[in-house]
Amino acid sequence: MSSSDQIPQENDLPKSQQTPMNIDGNSTTHFGYKTIEKDDKISMVAGVFHSVAKQYDVMNDLMSFGIHRLWKRFTIDASGVRPGNKVLDLAGGTGDLTAKFSQLVGREGKVVLADINSSMLNVGRDKLRDKGLVQNIEYVQANAEYLPFEENTFDIVTIAFGLRNVTDKDKALRSIYSVLKPGGRLLVLEFSKPEHELLNKAYDFYSFNILPKMGEIVAKDGDSYQYLAESIRMHPDQETLKSMMDNAGFEQTSFKNLTGGVVALHKGYKF
Amino acid sequence: MSIFTKLAASKIANELLLPQAVTAALELIINKALAMNINTSVSFSAVAQKTLTLKLAELSFPLSFSVNSSSKPVVVIVSTLAEQSDCSIQTSLYTLKKLKDNQSLTQLIKQDELDVSGDLKVAQQFANIAQSLEIDWQSELANHLGDVPTHKLLQFGNKVTKSFSTKSKQLEADITEYVVHEKRLVVCKSQVKAFNQRTKEIANDVSAISKRVDKLIADYASK
Repeated sequence: MSSSDQIPQENDLPKSQQTPMNIDGNSTTHFGYKTIEKDDKISMVAGVFHSVAKQYDVMNDLMSFGIHRLWKRFTIDASGVRPGNKVLDLAGGTGDLTAKFSQLVGREGKVVLADINSSMLNVGRDKLRDKGLVQNIEYVQANAEYLPFEENTFDIVTIAFGLRNVTDKDKALRSIYSVLKPGGRLLVLEFSKPEHELLNKAYDFYSFNILPKMGEIVAKDGDSYQYLAESIRMHPDQETLKSMMDNAGFEQTSFKNLTGGVVALHKGYKF
Repeated sequence: MSIFTKLAASKIANELLLPQAVTAALELIINKALAMNINTSVSFSAVAQKTLTLKLAELSFPLSFSVNSSSKPVVVIVSTLAEQSDCSIQTSLYTLKKLKDNQSLTQLIKQDELDVSGDLKVAQQFANIAQSLEIDWQSELANHLGDVPTHKLLQFGNKVTKSFSTKSKQLEADITEYVVHEKRLVVCKSQVKAFNQRTKEIANDVSAISKRVDKLIADYASK
């Protein structure tokens, strides 16, 4: 890949997009179990994803035993996507959802793969081009809190396993709401709280004992996968996220637990 | 199947992400078959961006097949999205088999075994593509196993298939023979029951006579 073909790094983004504005006066946020300055979260999360980008797909398959493919398929099925739709795959990473959406929206439709992380976006773009998917996909490096699109642009916005890494989730939800067309819908696929206590305990053991070791062996980065486990625990549970979506203006919000609540798909409409 | 059983089955299937697993497996198989197709005359232009939906009685979810010809190679996407279908067929796997055996489409519709809505031509075009696919299994296998093992494997496979076919024909003939001729001659359950009852009665009678004879002999000896 030529250097001109590279997607700009975070530092190339406008300053307003690099550092979220501190509206509520609280200058700290979570990075896994650590409490850090809000201004530091973007670069710390970026560090995690720059490190794991190349092994991201392999690790996803290993960690979830391939079930993440079924969760993503469920999201596509629940989106009600139609030929001609405009779809924003936010925090789209290596483009699993984009690939499928691109095939379903057809020539008249468009899919925008957006991610704040240039490494993930580069890996995603190469993967999709290798699959022959070039016609209706655009790539944008963007922060979910400050989406660089006009209001009422998209029929569908999806964010799969990305919202928990966003510094100010409320702001991101408001930003998504603004770029959705009336009648459009947001689908948030994210790790959540298992419904049963036994499953919760097994999941905890797996996340904190096995997952970081897997990361160490395969991606040579145990810390990033320790962060993954911690960030999942710090992410709002099903009901909290639903009310956050309500507060952002979404209507008819609902969620569906998948695999016993390990993952939940939240859905909300803009009318 | 009652409506409650159907609902419960559908709920369990959804919990286990069965619709997604089935569509993923079908998509993989279909696109693998398309990639292995050696018939270059197969054209997808007639079904480009068209969607065929199949609602099978055995499945609690629809199966939609859409052709995406804008990507190279052409791919078929399988999903459970049924809203934007160009042709929708409601039937069962058994009826689909009948269709394959060239049973009349009209007859099956009349018998309520098949319900078609939308453009029937789309379904026919999908069926034509499926029938015109040609896969050279031997060379595909040879790419992975090598020429000699493939030849041996196929030879063994043909032998097993032939033997299986002969055995199944023999079994079919035996069953037919039994149903048509032998079953009529075989005694039924009630006849066996009556026979057993009669045998028991005779055994009792013999036993009573035997006791009486013994008694008479004993009386005669004492005199």
